[in-house]
Amino acid sequence: MPATDYQASFLGRISIRRNQVIAMDGNHEQELQDLELFSKHVSERFAELLSSPDDVPFDALLSISWLRKLLDFFLCCEAEFKGILMMGNDPSQISKPPLDRLIPEFLDRSVKALDVCNAVTNGLESVRHYQKLAEIVVSALEQKPIGDGQSRRAKKALTSLISAMNVDDKECSAAKATERSWSFSRRGVSSKDRVPEHFRSVSNQVAKNWSAAKQIQAMTNNLVPPRGAEGSGLASPVYTMSVIMVFVMWALVAAIPCQERNGLSAIHFPAPKQLNWAQSIIGLHEKIGEEWKKKEKKGTAGLLDEMQKMEKLGNILMDFTDSFQFHGDITDQKAEEAAAHAAELAETCRRMEEGLLPLQMQIREVFHRIVKTRTELLNALDQVGKSSPPLL
Amino acid sequence: MDGCQSGVPTYEGDLHVVAAAHHIVKALGATKNLSDDLRKILIDLDSHLSMITSNIDSKGGRGLVDVEERLDQAERKIMRWETDPMMIWDSGPKEASDYLEAVDETGKLVDGLRGLSVHENRKQKEILHRAMNILQMAMSRLEEELIHILVRHGQQFEPKHMYSRSIRKDIVYDESFVSVEDEPIKETSSRNYSNDESGECIVDLVHADVIPDIKSIAKVMFTSNYGPEFCEAFISVQKEALEQYFSFLGTENLSIEDVLKMEWTCLSSKMNKWTWSMKIIVRVYLASEKQLCDQVLGGLGSVSSYCFLEISKATILCLLNFGEAVAMGPHRPEKLLRLLDMYETLACLLRDIDTLFSEEAGSFIQLHFHELLERLGESAIAAFEAFRVAISSNGSLYPFAGGGVHPLNKYVMNYIRMFPEYCNTLNLLLKNQHPGVADQVTEPDYGLDASLLTSCPMAYHLRSITSCLESNLHKKSQLYKDEALQHIFLMNNIHYLVQKVKGSELRLFFGDEWIRKHNAMFQQHAMNYERATWSSVVSFLKDDNPGSSSMSKSTFKERCKGFSVAFEEVYKTQTSWSIPDPELREDLRISTSLKVVLAYRTFLGRNLAYTDDKCVKHTVEHVENSLLDLFEGSSRSLRNSRRW
Repeated sequence: MPATDYQASFLGRISIRRNQVIAMDGNHEQELQDLELFSKHVSERFAELLSSPDDVPFDALLSISWLRKLLDFFLCCEAEFKGILMMGNDPSQISKPPLDRLIPEFLDRSVKALDVCNAVTNGLESVRHYQKLAEIVVSALEQKPIGDGQSRRAKKALTSLISAMNVDDKECSAAKATERSWSFSRRGVSSKDRVPEHFRSVSNQVAKNWSAAKQIQAMTNNLVPPRGAEGSGLASPVYTMSVIMVFVMWALVAAIPCQERNGLSAIHFPAPKQLNWAQSIIGLHEKIGEEWKKKEKKGTAGLLDEMQKMEKLGNILMDFTDSFQFHGDITDQKAEEAAAHAAELAETCRRMEEGLLPLQMQIREVFHRIVKTRTELLNALDQVGKSSPPLL
Repeated sequence: MDGCQSGVPTYEGDLHVVAAAHHIVKALGATKNLSDDLRKILIDLDSHLSMITSNIDSKGGRGLVDVEERLDQAERKIMRWETDPMMIWDSGPKEASDYLEAVDETGKLVDGLRGLSVHENRKQKEILHRAMNILQMAMSRLEEELIHILVRHGQQFEPKHMYSRSIRKDIVYDESFVSVEDEPIKETSSRNYSNDESGECIVDLVHADVIPDIKSIAKVMFTSNYGPEFCEAFISVQKEALEQYFSFLGTENLSIEDVLKMEWTCLSSKMNKWTWSMKIIVRVYLASEKQLCDQVLGGLGSVSSYCFLEISKATILCLLNFGEAVAMGPHRPEKLLRLLDMYETLACLLRDIDTLFSEEAGSFIQLHFHELLERLGESAIAAFEAFRVAISSNGSLYPFAGGGVHPLNKYVMNYIRMFPEYCNTLNLLLKNQHPGVADQVTEPDYGLDASLLTSCPMAYHLRSITSCLESNLHKKSQLYKDEALQHIFLMNNIHYLVQKVKGSELRLFFGDEWIRKHNAMFQQHAMNYERATWSSVVSFLKDDNPGSSSMSKSTFKERCKGFSVAFEEVYKTQTSWSIPDPELREDLRISTSLKVVLAYRTFLGRNLAYTDDKCVKHTVEHVENSLLDLFEGSSRSLRNSRRW
């Protein structure tokens, strides 16, 4: 352990002595060690996420497997956090300042995170839909030799795919996720029977007028690093966990199509660089934020690595099918290129097929975990409230 | 069969078949008594077969010419519709089957040509591409036709026919616990939908007449490897129809945050609506959707369950999410019945869900469902505990005016009167719950003949709740300074308690012994009241010397005055007291009357000599009549009373 760390914790102990004389006993040493260990683990985990190589497709930043790792780490941090907060020898601490204010704020953030989890789950359904469309493209282009028929088939699916991605992006919501090119039937015959145009798919929405960006913005309310003596008490893990939670939700929303994401890049959470554990998170935040800004210019459905690939390949293959139809035939070289791109798209689909469901399950687990911790904290607050003598 | 299906003649086999057919046609043509029509057909056939033979024979062309011809024919049939503004299936069954035939033919040709690709030559490749192009066009068209059929023949159904909805309960217990004021509105309540839910209510989401059409489109699309496109279109339309129906039911998506912040009355009606929608969606809509999927896609392995899952997933998860949010919210006592409603709804739908989502892919829905059921159960138990705590801790600073039935008592008794309807569920949930030690009930001894109901977990908890209530009422009675009023208050409230138990199914759970005991209890309070109020009043009328015939006039005067003052005082105070139950009021007046009026009459009778004196302020009749004014809840004074 470097000397500075030791000093910091030593000073921390002194300040705790000064501020929490009553609660002082032997177990405090343990608590301090736990706190240090917690920050250490947080910083290690996020450093690992930050160092993910961009060029290795499997583990690239914001790829499915990267997100799964992120959620894994979230669950680990969460478990440690709960341990520190709940296993402490003095449960009444959570009802004393500053925790009496910080815990309810934390719980409020948790509830917002739950809605984000749901929004992301809905978004993953959209991604699965893209996957299905991309699979049609692949199966059309896999046939050899490629003729006009397959090219048209692929083009049709590509049109649906690209427009579905654009719809999700433009609306910045999952509300219109269902592919709807058919609703503008060229015959117009069916239009009189069609459901009215203003009908919006509701089941993919979290709620009317709900906005993922606003939700995350709201999660950063009151999120300030503990100052002075607070910094060495339980206020600090609450702050750390809050930052992690906000970051994880933010990253999920950036990666996966979500209801209303306008203003996502404007969100910044105040994690001071001098905090060791926060450095990697800040790094990741900057890196993803850059990507997001590029996206805002270019227009992609989400930063999920696999989706960006899908979009890129989709556009290339779209050009291919266009030129196919224009020329009536293609050179062997072009056909080979297209086949290679189709194979790449197939690989992307395969990764989605393997990863999306587990990712969805993991988000579900995160959801459950947040609910569980919230319940336990509420119960603990309730207990403390009951056992402490009434104020009047 | 392979050669047949490929549609492209292979050299050897086909020569044999064609030769055999030729032979038969010639033999048939030789029969004498043939109609002209038939003869003409046979002649045509004969020349046709000759052509095929010559084609096959011609310089290794292997029937490509014929293939091309067949493709030309199919193409004509398919291309004709490309410019036609009509939908094929709207134009008539003949058109539809012709089209399908042409598509089928094209598909066979494509398969056949692919099968030959080893010996590919330029011509053959060209025909294959052309065929696949035609096939693509046809598939695109079929997708459109499919969507058109599904949308056009989609059936609406009214949810009202399915389940009548109990609105009454909505009204009765939308009050929150804290606002216990007046008697809740209605006494009787039966959940009238709980009985008619056993029937299967499957409806046709798409008109039965077009199911074969959809099926035939599915068949040809899947045969041509356009299954994904079929599913895509089918799922899109059906999913949107379900979502539309969902919003038609008036169910909207709510974020967890919204639900947690919601006002109780609003939340209560949403919970009620959820219970109702959940049943209709699962029992009727999804069951029907499942049937449709099975009808259309039955023979295609897991495709049917895949489509069903994709169609229904979003909606069902949306419903489950609301449940989660509710289960997560604060466990307030007023939520109990609604939570039980939701719990029971899920519990009775479990089997349906397990059947609907029996496949591996849908197992997470099953899991969600089971998890939510568990959580709602936990929430219900927590709300039950909260109810008990709320009863114990309901405090008052001031005595309840008039000594009538306390609102807490009314609220609690009217609330728990609903419990027997949830008996099985409550028993299940409360099985392992023990009321807190402090609230331990001294259980009446039910002896050997105690019925099962009085000893079930719910009965135990019910008695523990009323016991909490009783001790709180005792606490509240202590707020009265007047001992007599304490007894009136307890008499009223325990009487109310007993009446509520006796007048409902609760009696089965409380048992006769409990009722007897509590009857005795309120009667005891009535007696205590009489003693506390009237002993001192009547004592003026007592004969101190039973031996002597009469008392002195001065004593009489003094006693008379004392009685009048005391009586007037009682009158003034106790007219403002209240005994809401008319029978109980009557009983108490009678027994008071018996005691007081009799004593007064005897007193006056024994001292007839002085009764004309002005000191006798009240006649016996006056006393008797004024007793009727007691406990009416409005304060009066004897002097100002209309009777005087």
